[in-house]
Amino acid sequence: MYWEKEIETLERKDLEKLQVERLMKTLNQAVHSPYYGRVPEIRKAIKTGINLIEQIRELPFTTKEDLRNDFPWGFLASDKRDVVRLHSSSGTTGNPTAVYHNKHDLNSWANLMARSLFAAGVRDTDVFQNMAGYGLFTGGLGFQYGVEMLGCLSIPAGAGNSLRQIKLMRDYGTTVAHAIPSYLGRLYDVFKEEGLDPRKDTKLHTLVIGAEPHTEEHRLRIQEMFGVKAYNSFGLSEMNGPGVAFECTEQNGLHIWEDAFIVEIIDPITLKPVADGEIGELVMTTLDRQAMPVIRYRTRDLTRFLPGECKCGRTHRRLDRIAGRSDDMFIIKGCNVFPMQIEGVLMKLPEVGEDYRILLETIDDQDEMIVEVEVKKDWFKGDLSFLDKLQKHITHLVRDEVLVRPLIKLVEPGSIPKNEGKAVRVFDHRKK
Amino acid sequence: MTYQVSIFLENKIGHLEKVTAVLKEAEINIRSLHLNHTANGWGILNLVVSNPELAYQLLNDHGMSAALREIVVVKMTDKPGGLDNLLKEIVKAGVNFTNAYGRVVNDGVSAYFVIDIQDIPEARMNLTNVGLEIIADQNVYGI
Repeated sequence: MYWEKEIETLERKDLEKLQVERLMKTLNQAVHSPYYGRVPEIRKAIKTGINLIEQIRELPFTTKEDLRNDFPWGFLASDKRDVVRLHSSSGTTGNPTAVYHNKHDLNSWANLMARSLFAAGVRDTDVFQNMAGYGLFTGGLGFQYGVEMLGCLSIPAGAGNSLRQIKLMRDYGTTVAHAIPSYLGRLYDVFKEEGLDPRKDTKLHTLVIGAEPHTEEHRLRIQEMFGVKAYNSFGLSEMNGPGVAFECTEQNGLHIWEDAFIVEIIDPITLKPVADGEIGELVMTTLDRQAMPVIRYRTRDLTRFLPGECKCGRTHRRLDRIAGRSDDMFIIKGCNVFPMQIEGVLMKLPEVGEDYRILLETIDDQDEMIVEVEVKKDWFKGDLSFLDKLQKHITHLVRDEVLVRPLIKLVEPGSIPKNEGKAVRVFDHRKK
Repeated sequence: MTYQVSIFLENKIGHLEKVTAVLKEAEINIRSLHLNHTANGWGILNLVVSNPELAYQLLNDHGMSAALREIVVVKMTDKPGGLDNLLKEIVKAGVNFTNAYGRVVNDGVSAYFVIDIQDIPEARMNLTNVGLEIIADQNVYGI
């Protein structure tokens, strides 16, 4: 069952041919922007032409810094009159990054979103509640337009206000909901506080979770809490937002839509392509965006291609879930640590809640990694030795995973601040 | 069955007061208090109160981790050597507890000794066998 059978199941060689064609079109459009107009490799590629997809490697990368430095209009490749919307990062530190869309771009994005949701089994008979923030964050409007194109009854609930979310779900019989994974633990707590069980007291059959890297263990936990299938959604505002890559009903990797993006995975240090199936940094080029094409964008997200074909019949390759961000990695006591490694350990423990924080502190001139962990209420029986053992157990497991001995701090449930947007997990307070 | 309320607490300014504020609001009287802290920044607060079920319910409703934990309370005399005499009897009874704390009673002659132990029924039996008086719930809670 496909949203667009022909394009979703296109033979690889035809898909690559389409990519080359669209890349040339994209370069011809990009060169109208002040930034890409200054890039000699792009002018050269336009002159000599590109025949093989691998030739994209001759073009320079674009980084978040580049987008910031040429803020606000440096990447705009069409007349401002044609642009109908912008999305932007918060920009609390320095310039924000803004992404512009014309009508064609918004339509193309909505179509990718609809295609993604359809692949996850969402149909026009569903009632879709979007619990993402509406506004500059792409998770709100991005889903909204896709859900409408797909034909669901959409409930643009926005983020937060759990009591209202639950009421909406029950009043209108919501069957599918979208949220960031860290919010769903909070929502479940409110269900319980209200004496409700989402498995019995709602009609939910599907959750869509994204915008935050999360582990398979976290997904399984969400599925268990709500009694639904939870599908992983991947996107980033520089590449529109949600709808870039999505799990199909096989739940085995995220199909990345290669008619809309050229996807490369590189070694973040040597900048060369990694061997097929190896983890590296995701690099993406837009193929169907007019107002603001972006060439070889370094996403900082770490992932790999999953080998083999998907049972669903789609030919677009599958990405493994995001293993972290190349800029999230921190080094402590000489070890490279990704926060997702620690999350992987914590989420396997039933006694531990969904929220956690990693604090890097200098204590007596020593750098220490403190991990704050919430103990679930149901597990607390007033027994000191149980908590003591749990703390030692977590210390061992984390130590085995990242090779650094952490200081595990058990904290009261609900004491770790919740984020409405992407959860911030690491706080580096070390003396430099 | 006699219960204390045990609450998981981080060692931070104001956290103990969060508990007492809830009890004050509900007019629950604290009969005895014991605070147990670890070197890891958290600990357990044990309370004997006038209405443990209500306290447990309210503290959980306020988002705290509270548990009802069964205890056994025995009587001792409120004079020098009273605790030593009691402990000699407890040794005879062969009872090994994980936590204990006390409280004087306003009759001026007796005190209560609260014992937190894994196997309460067995402890009750052994303590009774050596002739110790186990205090009834309403007296422990001071109702």
